[in-house]
Parts: sequence; structure tokens; C-alpha cells
Amino acid sequence: MVALLALDWAQAQLDGDGFGFGWGNSSLLRSSNSVGNGNSEEEVRVALDQLPRDASDILDILKAEQAPLDLWLIIAREYFKLGKLDQFRQILEEGSSHEIDEYYADVRYERIAILNALGAYYSYLGKIETKQREKEEYFIQATKHYNKASRIDMHEPSTWVGKGQLLLAKGEVEQASAAFRIVLEGDRDNVSALLGQACVEYNRGHYSESLTLYKRALQVYPDCPGALDPENVEALVSLAILDLQTNEAAGIKKGMEKMQRAFEIYPYCAMALNYLANHFFFTGQHFLVEQLTETALAVTNHGPTKSHSYYNLARSYHSKGDYETASRYYWASVKEINKPSEFVFPYYGLGQVQLKLGEIKNALSNFEKVLEVYPDNCETLKVLGHIHVQLGQTEKAQEFLRKATKIDPRDAEAFLDLGELLISTDTVAALDALKTARSLLKKGGEEVPIEVLNNIAVIHFEREELELALQTFKEALGDGIWLTFLEGKAKTYEIDATSSLLQYKDMQIFHRLEEEGLSVGLSWNKVTTLFNLARLLEQLHNTETASTLYRLILFKYPDYIDAFLRLAAIAKARNNLQLSIELVNEALKVNDKCANALSMLGDLELKNDDWVKAKETFRAASEATDGKDSYATLSLVCILFIVHTALGSLKIFGVLPTLTFLGNWNYFAAIRNEKRNPKLEATHLEKAKELYTRVLVQHTANLYAANGAGVVLAEKGHFDVQEAASGSIFVQMPDVWINLAHVYFAQGNFALAVKMYQNCLRKFFYNTDSQILLYLARTHYEAEQWQDCKRTLLRAIHLSPSNYTLRFDAGVAMQKFSASTLQKTKRTVDEVRSTVDELENAVRLFSQLSAASNLHFHGFDEKKINTHVEYCKHLLEAAKVHREAAEREEQQNRQRLDLARQMALAEEARRKAEEQRKFQLERRKQEDELKRVRQQEEHFERVKEQWKSSTSASKRRDRSDIDDGEGGHSEKRRRKGGKRRKKEKSSRSRYETEEADMMDDHDEPEDEDANLNYREPGYQMNDQEDNVEENAQDVLAAAGLEDSDAEDDAFVDAKAAPSSAGRRRRAWSESDEDEIPERKTQSSLLQENSAELQDSDGEFRDDTNRQQENAAVDDED
Amino acid sequence: MKLAGLKSIENAHDESVWAAAWIPATETRPALLMTGSLDETVKLWKPDELTLERTNTGHCLGVVSVAAHPSGAIAASASLDSFVRVFDVDSNTSIANLEAPPSEVWQMQFDPKGTTLAVAGGGSASVQLWNTDTWKLIATLSIPRPEGPKPSDKNSSKKFVLSVAWSPDGRRVACGSMDGTISVFDVARAKFLHHLEGHFMPVRSLVYSPADPRVLFSASDDAHVHMYDAEGKTMVAALSGHASWVLSVDASPDGAAVATGSSDRTVRLWDLSMRAAVQTMSNHGDQVWGVTFRPPGGPGPRVGRLASVSDDKSISLYDYS
Repeated sequence: MVALLALDWAQAQLDGDGFGFGWGNSSLLRSSNSVGNGNSEEEVRVALDQLPRDASDILDILKAEQAPLDLWLIIAREYFKLGKLDQFRQILEEGSSHEIDEYYADVRYERIAILNALGAYYSYLGKIETKQREKEEYFIQATKHYNKASRIDMHEPSTWVGKGQLLLAKGEVEQASAAFRIVLEGDRDNVSALLGQACVEYNRGHYSESLTLYKRALQVYPDCPGALDPENVEALVSLAILDLQTNEAAGIKKGMEKMQRAFEIYPYCAMALNYLANHFFFTGQHFLVEQLTETALAVTNHGPTKSHSYYNLARSYHSKGDYETASRYYWASVKEINKPSEFVFPYYGLGQVQLKLGEIKNALSNFEKVLEVYPDNCETLKVLGHIHVQLGQTEKAQEFLRKATKIDPRDAEAFLDLGELLISTDTVAALDALKTARSLLKKGGEEVPIEVLNNIAVIHFEREELELALQTFKEALGDGIWLTFLEGKAKTYEIDATSSLLQYKDMQIFHRLEEEGLSVGLSWNKVTTLFNLARLLEQLHNTETASTLYRLILFKYPDYIDAFLRLAAIAKARNNLQLSIELVNEALKVNDKCANALSMLGDLELKNDDWVKAKETFRAASEATDGKDSYATLSLVCILFIVHTALGSLKIFGVLPTLTFLGNWNYFAAIRNEKRNPKLEATHLEKAKELYTRVLVQHTANLYAANGAGVVLAEKGHFDVQEAASGSIFVQMPDVWINLAHVYFAQGNFALAVKMYQNCLRKFFYNTDSQILLYLARTHYEAEQWQDCKRTLLRAIHLSPSNYTLRFDAGVAMQKFSASTLQKTKRTVDEVRSTVDELENAVRLFSQLSAASNLHFHGFDEKKINTHVEYCKHLLEAAKVHREAAEREEQQNRQRLDLARQMALAEEARRKAEEQRKFQLERRKQEDELKRVRQQEEHFERVKEQWKSSTSASKRRDRSDIDDGEGGHSEKRRRKGGKRRKKEKSSRSRYETEEADMMDDHDEPEDEDANLNYREPGYQMNDQEDNVEENAQDVLAAAGLEDSDAEDDAFVDAKAAPSSAGRRRRAWSESDEDEIPERKTQSSLLQENSAELQDSDGEFRDDTNRQQENAAVDDED
Repeated sequence: MKLAGLKSIENAHDESVWAAAWIPATETRPALLMTGSLDETVKLWKPDELTLERTNTGHCLGVVSVAAHPSGAIAASASLDSFVRVFDVDSNTSIANLEAPPSEVWQMQFDPKGTTLAVAGGGSASVQLWNTDTWKLIATLSIPRPEGPKPSDKNSSKKFVLSVAWSPDGRRVACGSMDGTISVFDVARAKFLHHLEGHFMPVRSLVYSPADPRVLFSASDDAHVHMYDAEGKTMVAALSGHASWVLSVDASPDGAAVATGSSDRTVRLWDLSMRAAVQTMSNHGDQVWGVTFRPPGGPGPRVGRLASVSDDKSISLYDYS
């Protein structure tokens, strides 16, 4: 590209010479007449080679002799040839004066010739003049003369040719062409016009047309100066350049021959020298280039030519790699140029060299100059893009590269550059660019560089388009042994792989593959891609293949530390610490200063509980990086802190890989201070906050610090700030979620806390983290959602079965649940029953734990568990009583209902009987009435009979009637009596039970053994059951008493009166309230800062309970 | 080979479903799917419609494992309270309540002949063998404790036994521990044979290949399934692909495939000839605690069935072909 441009420039540069050449030709043509003075009678001989110095003499002669005007012209020309321009001008100006016009009014052609000569002269002056004002002045002069000539004869072709030349000189190519065409229309063989037109075509870049025109000019006028004068160097050079422009091998060869001839004729033509130098530069003969250009520089003072020469020289040095010298010559070349638009190449070269020399800013300004001239030049745009990248101005760089790709959408390289540039900022755009580059390269039949594919794949990888990434990686890697692994074919060889412990170090497979004649090759440029592929496979959870690939890398390049570290990381993830440590050590064998490896080793040693070693390792890591690796440094600080404060088994490390250990240190110092001196605590907290803030200022993105700061603020009670600090920025960090949940928890916003914990579990841990489940359970516990609490704990147990702490907690939760149910004033039998079940479970759990503690399964104090067991047993007993009571109550309720129903029935019966009686009474009344009436009637009859005569039959019937009535009466009386008896009996039994219950009631608070106490009422209840059918009142009374009894009991339980129940409760409250916080400290400290939140919370609760505890202790004493 | 979803029951239990096993078919009824859950119940389901046959209660705390006698007549379920309840499948009458303190109970399995029930004993670092006639404890297979001074907290919890499996010939019992080691026992002599190493995280599920009594599959929290030659003490292959803990593994009756359930909420089918996952089912919304192939036999068409149970309270049935 550079070379091509150079040629372009050369053409442009030559235009000037081409024009000059044309101009020269035309004037020569016109004045190539022999000297003669035909009009004069007297002959005045003027020796043309002996013209006087002062033109006035000649003028006087010419005027005096009335010499023909052509003679004037000839003499002027002679002066011109001699370089006496003033005289030349003087003669011509005199020749075109008004006097002459008037005098020679008829001699039109000569007058025109004189004017044209003057016009041409001024054109030339204008052309070579560099100062704009003078230049225009000359052009105006020239125009004036030509216009004058036109006024003499509109159709004089030579005037038009002159005008055309002038326009050419002014750069108005189209108008010039029009002028020439006017001439050619009149005379298509006008050589000057042809030459002018050729020049126009040349200027337009139509070289072949230009050449045809020149050729035609030659045909028409074979004595054309070039041909006429084989020694005319300029003509030769021009023709040579024309030949060179054909851009064909033959043309170039011919051109170079001409150039050489020109050089041989006249070795000091700078133009020719430059061109030769240019040629030799391309043929690589730098020695010649230097010689030629140096000569050229010596012989010319013409700025552009010199600049060209310097440029050639600089290029020569540039290509030889001598940037210093090249830069100097480029600089010289640039200095010769007024405007970059004249000759821009030195700027480009200078820029390139400065880039090489590292003077980026200077290079930038130079390339910018090039860009001003060629705003669409892709190369320049790309170079500028690169420079901006180096200057860190990615935006600008992108702008340039985007422009470059827009201008040339087929420039794969530009797309590649753009893509690479965008990777860090805009992956989508980068991916697009790289893909375009890839397809361009493919279309062009070129092989896509592995780096490009690698980059594309990496972007896919980062955008989690894992499948695409995989495909692209495969494409990038092409054929190779890895395909065997990827497709799982090689696994068949692995069957008898032995020690599984060493699976990630095993290299046998490759040896075996080699033995089987498969080539296990891996070229160096593919290693990175292969490594990336393995990372991808890891991401896809295809760890096995990933490890094989890592091993393949190590098999071929045993110094590839990253592969060791990845293998170690895989082993670590699988908890194979021993192997992981070995692998890291392998890595350290390669480079014992590798900070990453050292940090990892430190981590592993910590995991292995090898504190002292870990300390040493972190110290080494810290030293390896001169203390710049904050991870190692801070880990070290943390270890020292922990070792010194003897926190023992607190595993803070898993969650503390941060810059902020110092902050944490202070934080812990504040929290851990046993005496909890408020002043000291405040100082520590303040310090911690300060540290976190400082880290935050330095690394705004350090989540750990923000998190830490949040925790401190939370500790100080600034919950809102904590939320703001953690906020939504760090949603990717589970710790933040957990801490936020802790905050919600501390605020008493249990529902939100629960949600937070659950989301965190689901989002980050696949619901497998029993620790968070524990937090969740605790939240439920505080929210008094006992069943949720229990379930959560059971889930946690299921996840980490060997964590007995969880079992203990589950026991506590069940115990608490039971206790709280028992405290309720209203509860159903089912509730009480489940309470009893729960207590039984709790007892069982605690006893199991107690048994297990004998086997040293866990670190519980056997005594404590036994206390729990005892307490639960006690509670269980009580609960059983409660259950019985409740069951009894339920039964009684049922009975009450039964009785009520019975009573209702009895009532109904009684009512019916009453009705019956009433009815009977009524009837009896009526009967009596009737009887009386009848009796009266009878009496009357009898009287009548007595009066008359009476019959025995009627008497008999009457008597039976009376009997009937009496019988019904007596029966009723009997029934009534029965009822009264029953009533007596029931009232008696009622008193009995009442008494018993009362006794029971009084006894209970005093009696230690509730069970024994309750056996009686139970017994009695059976009695009652017997009685119950007999009397409803009794039951009601008993039930009423039962109610009060239950209330009393609950009261006793709740009031903590000096009774066994009270003591039990206190024992419970002590153990429970004490235990839960303890559990918290044990478990929650695993989780860094969050733990402290809990811990402090626990301690806070401790305080509130202290009094009670003391009381309990007293009580026990 | 392929899995095709047949039927899913949402909210099959009130709480997370933790265990699943097929009860072999008897002359009177087809094979039943038995599931155990945190909701303290054991449910029996009739394929392929998964109609609920019965709900057994009687457990406290969550049901962590279920096992069926090869005859299909009796089954056992165990819960976090360390009780094993043995019951008659058809009548749900309790046959025995087993307890061997201080052992907890985790995975259980009947031996192929049905004479012995092996129970993973958790913190006792042992496997209990129960006679299925008398329901008496016959033997306790203890993992030898590593030498060293006084066993500390760490050591003991490491050998916590979570999973147990019988070899198809009934001569071996393998058990998996929290620390990732697998111990192989000679049943006849009640003797510890050797460890199989390779995992370093809890091994929650073990199964022998029905085709080859030497081949043992193990599922571990390290997201891998290992295939061991249990006699030769070597690892044959490691299958990776799950994103989180592998909670359950079962081998297909034809021995050509294994299925796994994982915390990553997926069920995977592995082709053993390719040693690669050929299918991933992601119909569950939470951890998949159990996968189980239906044993062959019984009336009805002889088609393969796989069931999976999950923390999302659902159970799923697949056609395996």
C-alpha cells in the first residue's frame, strides 16, 4: 500500500513537470522559424548569439527599422534561451504595446504570437511561483495577455492552446480540456492541443488515453521535441514516467530504460535520479538508492524534489531497520514540504518509524496529517486505531477502526483489530467483528488464524454460550489427539488405570496412546486454545475430559503452570487435598515464586488445618510479589491474627479471601473482646469501618470491602446504611445475601430474612448448604415457627448427616415447640398429643446424642445433653399429664355433648310426659266432668230409676271406668317417686367427685410427681364414666373444675412458682436460651462476618436472660 | 437408550421426597413405587398412572430411606429418628421395629436372596445386618478406625456411613462414607476387605451393576459418579457432568446404563459403553434425591421404568428403552 501510494504521488508530482514540458514544447514549436527579416530593405544583422545586454538597443533598432513583428519574437526568444528574462519580457511587452498595435494593425498573427508568448511566460511564472499572491498576480497577467490575443482573433488556435495551458497551470483541468478541445475541433492534428489534452488526460489519471494522445501528437508531428531531440533529458524522463505509469512489466522496463538513458545523458537530473532510486529501492539495491538520492539532493534545490529524495533515502534506511537515520531523513523530507497534501509519504514513514522508536504521540500527529490528506485510507485509520489503543484511548481507537471497516468492509485485518479492541468493552460488538473477520478470511480462502477462533470462542464462553464456544474451540484446534478425548474414544484405554488417587497426575494414557501409534502432538500455538477448551469443559462439568486435556498439555509442555493449577483446583473442588497439594507443588517446582500457586498452597494447607505451614506459605507468596499480592498478605495477617487470638477451630478462611482482612481483624477484635468494653469496641469498629472504606476508595468494586463495611455499620445499628452499602450491586456474592438476610433478621423482619436465605440457597448452593439452612432454621425459631424450624433442621441433617449439632438443634427446637404449646392457654388435644410425640422425639434425639458422645462423635458435653434429656423427660411427663388432661377434657367435652344430647332427650321426654300428663289431667278433668255429669245423670237416672226402675248393666260399666282412672294415676305416682330417688343418688355422687377434684387441685402444686398426682383423677374419671350416664349435672361440674384445674396448672408452669415445674421451666430456659446462642457461635462463625452478627445477637440475648439464669442457678443451689 | 417422561405427580407428598424404591411385583399385584418424605409418610404408588395405593404413617421426623424385599411382600422404611419400620406391603401391618443405638439409619438394602437387611449405620461407622426371619441383628460390619491416637471429632465423623449396597451375588456389602471412602466387606466372614478410594466428599449412594458383581457405582458430593472394580480395588471410570452433588445412582436392570439424580435438579442417564451422559432430564425444580429402576418381572409388558423423586415434592416416572 505504501509503495502504491508513493507512485501515486509521483504522478501528481510529475504533473508539474509534464506541464512544463508541454508548455516548453508549444513555445518551441511556435518559434522554430529561421531568423530572417524579409520586409526590410536594409539589412540589419543581428547575431543571435551576440545580443546586446540591454534590450533597449535592440528595441530601438527594431522600431527604427520597422522590423516585422516575427523578428521581435525571434529576438525575444533568443533572450529567453539565453535566460535573459528581463530582456525577453521587455521586447515582448514593447511588441505588444499600443503603438505597435496601431502600427502593425494588420499583422495579426505576429501580434497574437507575441501576446501568447507573454501569456505563456506569465503562466510559467505563475506556475513556479510559490507565494499565493504573486502566483495569482502572474496568472492574471497571463490571462490578460491571452484575452488580448483573443480579441485580435477569436479563432487563433495557439491562443486557445495557451489558455488551456494556463488553465492547466491553475489546476482547472476541465476548463483546460474545453480549451484544448476547441482547438482540436478546428484542427484535430494540432500538436500543441494534442499535447495539452494529453496532459489533461494525464492529470485526470487517464494514462492510457494520455498516452494515445501523445502518440498521436508524435504521429502528426514526428519531429516532436522528444523524438527530435533524443538528448532532451526532460522529455526522456517524462516519457519514461509515462511508460512507468502503464504499470505493466514491459512498460516499466521500457520506462526504466528511458530513465537510464536520460541518466546517462545527463546524470544530474534530480527527477531521473529520484525515479531511478525509487526503482532500485524496489529491486532492493539500497546502496544505489543512497548514491542516487544523495546525488539528486546535491544537484537540486527544488523543494518537492529534494523532499522526494530524502524520502527515498529514509525509506531505504527504514527498510534496513535503521530507524534512527530513517527518522532523520523522513524528518528532512517533511521539512521540505510546505503542506502535507503536497507529499504525504514522509509523514507516513515518519509515523511508522516513530512508532517503532516508541514516540507514540509524535507518530500520532504524523498519521493524523496523513489522514487529513487521505481521510479514507484504511491503513492510516488502522494505524491510528492502534496508536489510540496504546494510548489507552479505546473510544477513539474504536472510532478509527470502525471507520476503517466501514470504508473497506472486506478488510479482515481491520475487523480483527476492531474485534480484539472491543473484547474488553463490548463483547457483542467484538463477537460480530471477529465473526465478520472470520467469514472474510474464509471467503478469501485463507486459513483463519487460531487466535481469532480462540477469541471468538472465549467471547462465547464469557457470554455463557457454551455450546457455541465448544464448537469454535474445536474448529480452532482442528484435528488432533484431543478429538479422541473429546469424543470419549480414548477412555477405553483407561480401563486399567490404577491408582485412582493419582488420577490427575497420570500420564500413562498418553504413553499408551503413543505406543499404539497415535501421534500425541500439540503445537505450541494451540496450547492456549486447548487450555481454554479445558476450562470450558470444566464449566460444562465435564471435569474428566478437562483433566485429560490439562494433562495432555503438561505431557507436552511440563512447564505450563496454569494447567497444574487447574488440575489442582479440580482436585481441590473434589476435596482431594493431598493430590491438590502435590499438583501445586509440581507447579512450584516449575516456578517457586509463582504467587498464585503459593496462595493456593496456602489455602490448601489451611483446609488441611496446617496453620503453621500455611502461614509460611502465605508469607512466601507475599514476598514473591513484594507484598503486592494483597490476597496472600491479608491471608497472612488473618492467620497471624487467628493464631494469636487463639480462636482455634474457627474456620473463617473459607469466606475470607479478601483484601479486607485487616478490617475484619478490627471487627473481630471488637466483637471478641470478652469484657465488651463499650469504648474499646467503638474504637475497633470505627477502625474497621475506616479500613473498609479505605479499601473501597481504592477499589470501588471490591465487594468484600463493601460487605465488610456493611457488616460494621450493621453492628453499629445502621441497618439502612448496610442495605444501601450492599444494595443490589453485589448480587453475585452469596455472602452479601446472607448478611442482608442477617440484617433483616436482626431487624426482626423474619419473613424477608427467610426469603433472603432461601433465595441465596437456591441461587448459589443448589440448596445444598446446611449452614444457611441452619440460619434459616434460626430465623424460624425466632419467629416462633417451630414446625418450619424443625423441618428446616431436618433438611439440614439430611444434607449433612454427620453434623450432630444440627440434631441437637432439632432437639432444642422440638423441646421449645412443646414447651410453647404447653404454655398456651387454649390448645386442642391434637396439639397436646403432637407435643408429646415431639417431646418423645426430642428425648430420643438427646439420648442418642448422649450415647454418641460416649463414642466421641462430636464435641458436646455429655452432661449438658443429659440435662437436656432429663429436662425433656420431665417435660414429657408433664406433657403426658397434659395430654391426659386434654384427652380427658376432650372426652368430657364429648360426654358433655352426649349428656347435653341426653338431657335434651330427657327434657323432651319430660316435656312429652308433662304434656301427656296435662293431657291426661285434662282428659281426667273432662272425664271427671263427664263422670260427674254422668254421675249426675246417673244419679238423675237412678233417681229417675229410683223413680222408675234401674238396670245392673249400667252400674257395672261405671265402676270399670273409675278403676281405669285410678290405675293411671297410681302408675304415674310410682314413676315420680323413682325420679326423686335418682336425683338423690346423683347429687350424692356429684359431691364425691367434687371433693376428689378439689383435693386433686390442691394437691397438685405441692406434689413433685405429677404423674402420680394425675393417676387419681384419671382413676376417678373412670368412676365418673360409670356414673356419667346417671347424672349429667355431675359431669358438668367436674368439667368445670377440670377447666380451672388446667388453668391452674398452666399458671404454675408459667409463673415459675417455687415448684418443680418452675424449676423445670427455668432449667429449660437456661439450657435452651443458652444452647441456641452457643450453637450460633459454633456454627455461624464459619460464615465470617455474618457470624458475628449472630453471635452478638446471641450475647445480647444472653444478657437479658442472665438474671433469669442466675435465678435458676440459685434455685438449683 | 433413551428416557421418556411418562407421568409426574406434583405435590405427591406434603414435603420434600427423600427416598424411593420399587417393590417387586407379586402374583397378585404389579410392582409398586414406594416413596418416603420429610412429611413423615411412606406412600405406595401404582404405575404407570402413579395412583396412590396407600399412605403409611408411623414415622417421626423425615423418612430418609426405603427398601423393598426381593419377594415384594415386605418392605422397610427408615427415618431420621433412627427407627427402621418393617411392614407387610399389602396390609401395612408392622412386622418389626428395628433399632440399634447408637447407630442412626441411612441407606438400607435387602440382600438379593432376601435373607438379610443391610442398614448404613451413620456415625457408628458400621453397617448393621438384620436377619429377615427373626429380625435379630446378625452382624455389625465396622469400618476399621484409622490408627492413631485417640479418635478425635474429625476422624470419627469422616467414616460416617451413609450408603450401602449388596453385590448381586450376595457375597459382598459395600458402604460409602462421609469422607468419600468406600469400604467393601465379605459378608460370609463379616470381614472388612478393603477401601475404594477416589472420592473425597460424601458418598450418598452406591449400587452394584446387576450385570457384573465386580462393578460398583458410587455417587458423591464431588459431582462425580465413579465406576469401580470393587474386587480389584481399581477405579474403572469417573463420570463427570453434574453441576452439583450427585445424590442418587441406580443401575438399569440390563446393566447397560446408570441413572443419577443430583442437587443440580437434573436426572441423567449414562451410557456405560460410551461412559458419557446421553440424556439429561430437567423436569424437577429442586434436588433430585432418588432415582430407581424398576426391577424386571411381574405381570404386564416388560418395559423399563425409572422413577425419580425430588425436594420439589414431586415424583416422576420415565420410560427407559
